[in-house]
Amino acid sequence: MSENIYITEERIDGADDGPLAGTTVAVKDNISTEGVRTTCGSRMLEEYVPPYDATVVKRLKDAGAIVVGKANMDEFGMGTTNETSYFGSVDNPAAPGHVPGGSSGGSAAAVAAGEADVALGTDTGGSIRCPAAFCGVVGIKPTYGLVSRYGLVAYGNSLEQIGPFANNVEDAAALLDVIAGSDERDATTRAEGDDATYAAAATGDVDGLTIGVPTELLEGADEGVVDTFWDAIADLEDRGAEYHEVSLPSVEHAVEAYYVIAMSEASSNLARFDGVRYGHSADAEGNWNETFAQTRKEGFGDEVKRRILLGTYALSAGYHDKYYKKAQDARAWVKQDFDEALSEADVLASPTMPVPPFELGESLDDPLQMYLADANTVPVNLADLPAISVPAGETDGLPVGLQLVGPAFGEERLIRAASALA
Amino acid sequence: MTAQTVQQGDLVTVIGLEVHVQLETDTKIFCGCSTEQTDEPNENVCPVCLGLPGALPVLNEAAVEAAVKIGKAIDADIPEETRFHRKNYYYPDLPKNFQITQYDEPICADGDLEVAVEGDRRTVTIERAHLEEDPGSLQHVGGGGGIDSADYTRVDYNRAGTPLMEIVTAPDFRSPSEVRAFLAELEEVLEYLGVFDAERDGSLRIDANLSIIPEAEIESGDVTDIGADALAAANRTEVKNISSHKGAEKALAYEETRQKNAIQRGRAVEQETRHWDESRGITVSMRSKEEEKDYRYFEEADLPPLRVSGWKEEIAIPELPSARRERFQAEYGLNEEAASKLTSTKQVADFYEDVAGEFDPDLAATWVADNLLGELNYRDMDIVELEGRLEEVTRLVELVAEDEITAKNAHETVLRGMLDDGEAPDEIVEEEGLGKTDEDEVQQAVVEAIDENPDAVDDYESGDDGAINFLVGQVMQKTGGSADPGDVNQLLRAELEQ
Repeated sequence: MSENIYITEERIDGADDGPLAGTTVAVKDNISTEGVRTTCGSRMLEEYVPPYDATVVKRLKDAGAIVVGKANMDEFGMGTTNETSYFGSVDNPAAPGHVPGGSSGGSAAAVAAGEADVALGTDTGGSIRCPAAFCGVVGIKPTYGLVSRYGLVAYGNSLEQIGPFANNVEDAAALLDVIAGSDERDATTRAEGDDATYAAAATGDVDGLTIGVPTELLEGADEGVVDTFWDAIADLEDRGAEYHEVSLPSVEHAVEAYYVIAMSEASSNLARFDGVRYGHSADAEGNWNETFAQTRKEGFGDEVKRRILLGTYALSAGYHDKYYKKAQDARAWVKQDFDEALSEADVLASPTMPVPPFELGESLDDPLQMYLADANTVPVNLADLPAISVPAGETDGLPVGLQLVGPAFGEERLIRAASALA
Repeated sequence: MTAQTVQQGDLVTVIGLEVHVQLETDTKIFCGCSTEQTDEPNENVCPVCLGLPGALPVLNEAAVEAAVKIGKAIDADIPEETRFHRKNYYYPDLPKNFQITQYDEPICADGDLEVAVEGDRRTVTIERAHLEEDPGSLQHVGGGGGIDSADYTRVDYNRAGTPLMEIVTAPDFRSPSEVRAFLAELEEVLEYLGVFDAERDGSLRIDANLSIIPEAEIESGDVTDIGADALAAANRTEVKNISSHKGAEKALAYEETRQKNAIQRGRAVEQETRHWDESRGITVSMRSKEEEKDYRYFEEADLPPLRVSGWKEEIAIPELPSARRERFQAEYGLNEEAASKLTSTKQVADFYEDVAGEFDPDLAATWVADNLLGELNYRDMDIVELEGRLEEVTRLVELVAEDEITAKNAHETVLRGMLDDGEAPDEIVEEEGLGKTDEDEVQQAVVEAIDENPDAVDDYESGDDGAINFLVGQVMQKTGGSADPGDVNQLLRAELEQ
């Protein structure tokens, strides 16, 4: 397999029957699988084998799905191109020579390449929607609290959700039906998804649908991407939807706020990797402090170290109010903006990514450019809202994704609307 | 302050406490693992309390209930909503390298506890009390065996995730003995609430802040009322690793002397953290202020805000020791000392009330406070060790109350036998032949036999020893043969000698 989609290719059989019987699933390698190593794309966990299944994996097995491999990803989910993986980058099956997007690049590529029927990814700031857009597949980032995070190795735990990839909206919705719903092991889950019938909502009926287009999310976007986006909107209009422009003034601060919060949380979430209980352990002399430092120096890649250091800084005494607290204020503002915009529209639409897929290696040396590419996806995580990325067409032969954002627990509405396109 | 005023003025000791109390719950605070103590290391662990990647905390409501009980007992404010924070620091016993605790929204704030200190009642302000998880424990092996001298260290996560309540007092203490009295009272209250087990290893851990302030700097002249400025001006040390109220008194007495000596010699007291080395009886420096930690507190997003508004009304707490002490005096007519002894633990007080309900309260007080507690104390035993046998003690009091055995025999033979040999009171009475009624019956028969047979008495008195056998026969007849002939023989001779 030339694309380097899986970090570990291993088959895990599920129940004999169930709604996903016989369906093959690629699972992002930050979702714990009992007995099958779960690396998070990091040297730190190269040999870590969890003793338990994530709740979503348990639900997959119960539904009869067959896990076919643990999908490649940016190290601990930190990246937009899948190139920060310790196990090497993934080639984009829909646009060879280009990145598949990140951080769930392996999951999206598995579906695009036909290596799996569907896949699970995780989305902290766009990590499902970005690779879905880049690989020309469907990806859903559920409302925060719809899907259990138990067993998902945390990066930014107040932001992230597990969600499905598929070649079409209905299949993605069917996978969401299986994984959604409250879990006694995740205190942030809610009951809204307990009796979900998302797949049934994939009717393609957009007659009377009102679409708000936030003008801020088109500014500075690649021209070809914007053209493709408007073509898709026109397509929806033809089927009875109508659109109007809306404004989300707060989103100009969303990227800063997102990175401060995500990095702060990451600095704490990744503190546990010290080599004492599991994971890489440096063969170092010295006291525990020196040993911890050496283990973390060897086990983490550059991007992970960068985010841990920045996050530690943002939480430090004297800087906490200036960065972390301010970011929380911005987060509240973003939420409020979305609430207002969604009071005037059923869904909000934008290009998922402001740019087409980067060439492999193009953005590695400029983290800031990479961070800015998340401008359209991170506001949704700050607002805890659901979003879906569906293929909107191509620009210069490269896939373009259209993102629809809905109100909290409005997954059915998103699925109905998006199914008009894919 | 100048060296002169320091030398001339009296020095006042100011102490504040952070008390960590393990809450008695069946399972840990954020997972379903048992909190039972076990000899096997790392036995009661799961992905959550081991901090495995991906595991998430779920709050144990029993810990919240215990916290609310404590809040009610110390008359604290319990806010409508409370939440959890992460305290970030690296330490090998901390599975996630952060501790889930509470920061600016603790479950209890602004409470107090009344304590008797050398005859005075003093109110100690409790600034806050919050819930958190206990780390694991470290075992230092080889080398010097100490925290800084061992060859290597083992980590045991059985304790990790045990619910803790951290209780923070105002700097209200003026002597180590006050601290001891407070801690004893606090333990008593917690045991009454049923949220704490003092017998458990490591169930109480204390950090104490101590500083010495020249009396001249106390504006009001009242040593119980020290301004924030005077406190802030004085350097303090934080003494860690104290694990009992007796230890607290010793550690703080050492630290008080150490600081006073320094000040009297004109040396500055360094603001630092010190470790109480119980075996050596000294405090040793751990780290100075420059190395003071920045814990980077921030909200724990994995635990939603906890609404406890309704809990305070719904959760009932039992009568507390101070109230019970007063009631015992009023209801049973006890003096303060007896009431105090009888409310020293909940088990003792409950037992006393059982006994006093059936028998004379004074008799019950003598038996529970003096005899039982005295004998238990002598044997270094606790009343909890008699669990399931308290009915036997009640039976013993009944034997005394109904005059079936003498009080002396009941205490010296029966009670001690019960404690030493584990026998039931009736067994001991039977074996030792302490039944007072039996003795009386035999004695009565002896007197009757003598009265009814003057001829045989005359014969005996005139030297016919065989006459005694006739009298023994008479007594045996009267007692239905239940008496011991040898004893009867002795009793007759004794009676005839009179």
